[in-house]
Amino acid sequence: MVGEKRHPVLDQLIRLPFYLLALFVLLPYYWMATAAFKPLSEIQARPPSFMIKEPSFHNFFDPRWVFGEVSPLQDVTQGLFQRYEASFIGHIFLNSMGITVFVTLFSLLFASAAAYILVKHKFWGANLIFGLIIASMMVPWEVTIIPNFLTMRDLGWINSYQALLIPGLAKAFTVFFFRQVIMNMPNDLFEAAKIDGANEFRTWWQIVLPLLRPALAAMVIFVSLAEWNNFMWPLIVVNDANHTTLPLQLSQLAGDLSKDPRSAGVVMAATLLVSLPALIIFMVFQKDFINGLTAGSVKG
Amino acid sequence: MKNDLGTQSQILLDISKPRRRTFVSQLQVHTIPMLMLLPFMLLFLVFLVYPVLKSLFLSFTDYNAVREPSFVGLQNYSEILHDPRFYKALQNTSIYTFSSVILTNIIGLGLAMAFGSQRVLDQILRGIFFLPAVAGGIAIATVWKWILSSEDYGLLNTIIGWFGFESVSWLGMPKYAVPVLIMYTVWNGLGYSMILFVSNLRSIPNELYEAAAIDGASPWDRFVKITVPLLRPTFIYTTVTGIIGAFQVFSEPYIFFADVHNVGGILDSGLTVVTYLFEKGFYRFQMGEASAVAWILFAICFVLTLINLRVQRANESVQ
Repeated sequence: MVGEKRHPVLDQLIRLPFYLLALFVLLPYYWMATAAFKPLSEIQARPPSFMIKEPSFHNFFDPRWVFGEVSPLQDVTQGLFQRYEASFIGHIFLNSMGITVFVTLFSLLFASAAAYILVKHKFWGANLIFGLIIASMMVPWEVTIIPNFLTMRDLGWINSYQALLIPGLAKAFTVFFFRQVIMNMPNDLFEAAKIDGANEFRTWWQIVLPLLRPALAAMVIFVSLAEWNNFMWPLIVVNDANHTTLPLQLSQLAGDLSKDPRSAGVVMAATLLVSLPALIIFMVFQKDFINGLTAGSVKG
Repeated sequence: MKNDLGTQSQILLDISKPRRRTFVSQLQVHTIPMLMLLPFMLLFLVFLVYPVLKSLFLSFTDYNAVREPSFVGLQNYSEILHDPRFYKALQNTSIYTFSSVILTNIIGLGLAMAFGSQRVLDQILRGIFFLPAVAGGIAIATVWKWILSSEDYGLLNTIIGWFGFESVSWLGMPKYAVPVLIMYTVWNGLGYSMILFVSNLRSIPNELYEAAAIDGASPWDRFVKITVPLLRPTFIYTTVTGIIGAFQVFSEPYIFFADVHNVGGILDSGLTVVTYLFEKGFYRFQMGEASAVAWILFAICFVLTLINLRVQRANESVQ
């Protein structure tokens, strides 16, 4: 236990239920990863089996499947890459990826520039603006969705990339977060830059941004995770295949699951593909993730 | 010393750039900063400030997204406050919120105390518990839906079958809808609260425990009198953000329970405040009523946060 002397027996006794809990946390991932490679007969086995007896890629692509043949008894189903063309899966993957990168990059650039100006540039109204930003953080995001949907409609942006990219760029919390960090940067730095003749833009680009790196890393994690998993907003502004995102398409595919249990393997293959990038990034950057997320909370 | 230097460089600056308050010099001083502020401010005003005001306005109107909004005063609010479905949503969301916040706090603290050290095994276990915070979202909710949904080949039923329990139709029985949501959210959120508690526990100096041990305090006494009070910052943070987050839950109940006709599942057993809002706005296009729901949601979150902070402050003054 942290901060206390260890008592070996008591320690393991306390830990035991938590080891079971760890298995419970891993269970859905294990289940997803194995089900994606189980043939239909094993998917439908009752009781379900934890092992894969005959691993196959049939949930991704089943060469035995013939268009038009539907037989409920057949151990053949349409693989993921038969249901959707590979190019379409690549397309929505790029949609999600592009939206995540764009929103993360520009929302953080805009927010850090704004935070820097609000802290270090003296002008009338700076505190008023900051007060407004804090006030806006208290309003739940859902309050804005109906007017924002109407704005998108009036601009003719329903089913467009603009709708997926632009409204997400205004993130009040990031400005608030960066402002706290910038306030603690020594003033001498900025004055030295000023004496050297750097304007505010160069000071921000060459001094503030490098110093903000840990804070930026934390916010990159926050914003990109939220964006990768964003579901409600695309659900509202997108209803065509061209602009759909992974979570949106997946929820549609998952709808089939309740109608046809035979598609479970295919759905699991799709969820594996969707969560794989997050899983890989998590394994590589585990420490940064954890440091980044704790940085967003209060300090003790 | 530092201040002196500051003043000196200020004087230097003043000498090197005599500032006349002319329009041109003002323009020179402010142009670049204002251009840097502009992108955020523009987006902030158009997509956050304006929508907040607009939705407040819409909440007092009858608006179906086609005809012009017509002013109806407090009618939307009164209709919602007389709608039994709203109370069902509010009840579901409240039970969901309080249970999941309390459970994530307790289990998260337990995990932090059990696996808080720097040993490799503990680090791996922390990674496991934290996994859903990263690789969660719609994808894993879908996996859960499969684990839960089916009657006899569902995985959860198999597991509880080992312990001699009967199969349960987890997503098909009204009485299990909210418990399933709570279970999912605790599963999803306990790693995050664990990490926050770990960093807070590390900040507690070991001398406190040693001194207490010398004074003869039992482990339980030490836990209650040292650990818990000093964890207050994390309790406040996880509770306030947990309440606000839980009251806004949308994706999970939507994935678990929504179909083409109804977002709340059987007998609205899985209806939450935000899915209710979504249904009003985007199934029925009652934009005015949906906006009123949004403002009621805001009021609830606001009041709960105030109460929370007040209670915490009262505890603080007692100690």
